[in-house]
Amino acid sequence: MSTNMHLIEPEELMAYLDGELPADQANEVLSHLELCPECQTLAADFRTLSRELMAWEIESPELSISPEMDAALRDRFQKQEAAKVSPPGLEKRIKRMTTSRWIWAGALAVVAIVCVATGLMLLMLTRTGSHRTQDRSAAYPSMASIEQYLMPDRNAEIALARSAAPAAISSDAKILVLGWRGYETAVEGRNGFVCVVERSWMNPFNSAEFWSPKVRVPICYNPAAARSILPLTFNRTAMVLAGWSKAQMIDNIKAGFNNQELPVPEPGAMSYMMSRAGHLNDALGHYVPHLMFYFPLTDKYSWGADLPESPVALNPQFRDGPEPITEFVIGVGKWSDGTDAPVM
Amino acid sequence: MTSDEALMLEFQRGSRAAFEELFARYRKTLYGFFRRRLNNPERAEELTQETFLAVIRSASRYEPRALVGTYLCSIALKLLAAERRKLLTSSPSVEAAPEPNTEGTSERVLWVRQAMEKLDAPDREILMLREYEQLSYSEIGELLRIPVNTVRSRIFRSRLALKNHLESEARSNPSPRTSGGQPHPGRRGTQ
Repeated sequence: MSTNMHLIEPEELMAYLDGELPADQANEVLSHLELCPECQTLAADFRTLSRELMAWEIESPELSISPEMDAALRDRFQKQEAAKVSPPGLEKRIKRMTTSRWIWAGALAVVAIVCVATGLMLLMLTRTGSHRTQDRSAAYPSMASIEQYLMPDRNAEIALARSAAPAAISSDAKILVLGWRGYETAVEGRNGFVCVVERSWMNPFNSAEFWSPKVRVPICYNPAAARSILPLTFNRTAMVLAGWSKAQMIDNIKAGFNNQELPVPEPGAMSYMMSRAGHLNDALGHYVPHLMFYFPLTDKYSWGADLPESPVALNPQFRDGPEPITEFVIGVGKWSDGTDAPVM
Repeated sequence: MTSDEALMLEFQRGSRAAFEELFARYRKTLYGFFRRRLNNPERAEELTQETFLAVIRSASRYEPRALVGTYLCSIALKLLAAERRKLLTSSPSVEAAPEPNTEGTSERVLWVRQAMEKLDAPDREILMLREYEQLSYSEIGELLRIPVNTVRSRIFRSRLALKNHLESEARSNPSPRTSGGQPHPGRRGTQ
């Protein structure tokens, strides 16, 4: 097919049909597709081909848990029980964690000094410390019980997640809610966006409110961020619910990036935080509406971030954290419902 | 519904019920994975069991950064590679894969299978991961350690090649497509 007269490549059309394009590109392809008979034919061909492939059905297997699997399960659970009675290498682990705790305590002290000395306004921006760090740190010294982080009203959590972005985006987005065992899909989406209410453990690890059960952060990720940033939320959440320590989580995240098992931000990854509800931290409440943009580690001045009068700021969420991500934030003057809002 | 990843963490903590649920969710998918690639239903069943055995033995190494479906596919791909190596080095008279049982298979499906076999092996694998295991481009890239753009271009290439194979088959032998009971929609067909 000639592409001279086409705004979109056939490969892009295929990616659209596979649901693999970000919303803006998907809209472009859809607009073109509606007007282009040649592309409609190609799209029909792709759909037919997929149907042809799916016609190759496989009979249902007569599979049940085999005696060998049953034995392996018993063996595994027995070993786990034995390990609970006498945890192997516990002493070594405690020593390692204690050492690590001292290192982190030192790091926290440095961060606190820097915060007080410079009074960085940005540290108030999202979910990190302020001059009241010590008070709040004392208020949330450790993880609360899981139910304190859950929202008992599922519909309220769905509505709060949706409030992160204008309805034109969030009404077709996939909505996740937090359950006892992690995030679950509450509503399937159609536009590739994913909206979720994040909890306190998405703060920097040195945040005084890392364990605050009051934190509710509605956020809508665009498709690129849903693929490459949201997995970081899933990862931290699963570790928290599994009862991992901060040190273990940090090690896990670092290893994940070193092994390339955790994703790096995809080009175009961004998110909306335009809710007038939610609770970012005790000092700021819901804060002001803004958009966030994610990159592999980048010099903040390449975006002019934090320069005088620049509307772009470096968000400290991942700064100096184990995730090698630079996150820029830009304030917008509207809440997600279109009403005027103060600007950062 | 509890997510697969949460079930895996429950299993790590000692829940047999969580494992049984994962087994119920994935046994058909994994069986289909091996069945479509090996033409040997008995081996497909055995390898499916072996995949779950590997999960039991290495569950403590699972980390929630990976989707369970992708994690299982990664184990299945390793077992498949070992199986293929074994088939290559063993005596053909003993180990050759049985002829595919085509009884009850529509001609249309046979055409698809034959056309798939004409694709380059790496391209065929990527296309199968997309179409049958329903993995996203990024999941396939993660699994095969190749960039997402490469995944996309290979899927595109495979689909075009497959389409050409099927069209040339249809031109040389027009009857099977309609004898399969489902007429090909074609360019002017209804969607």
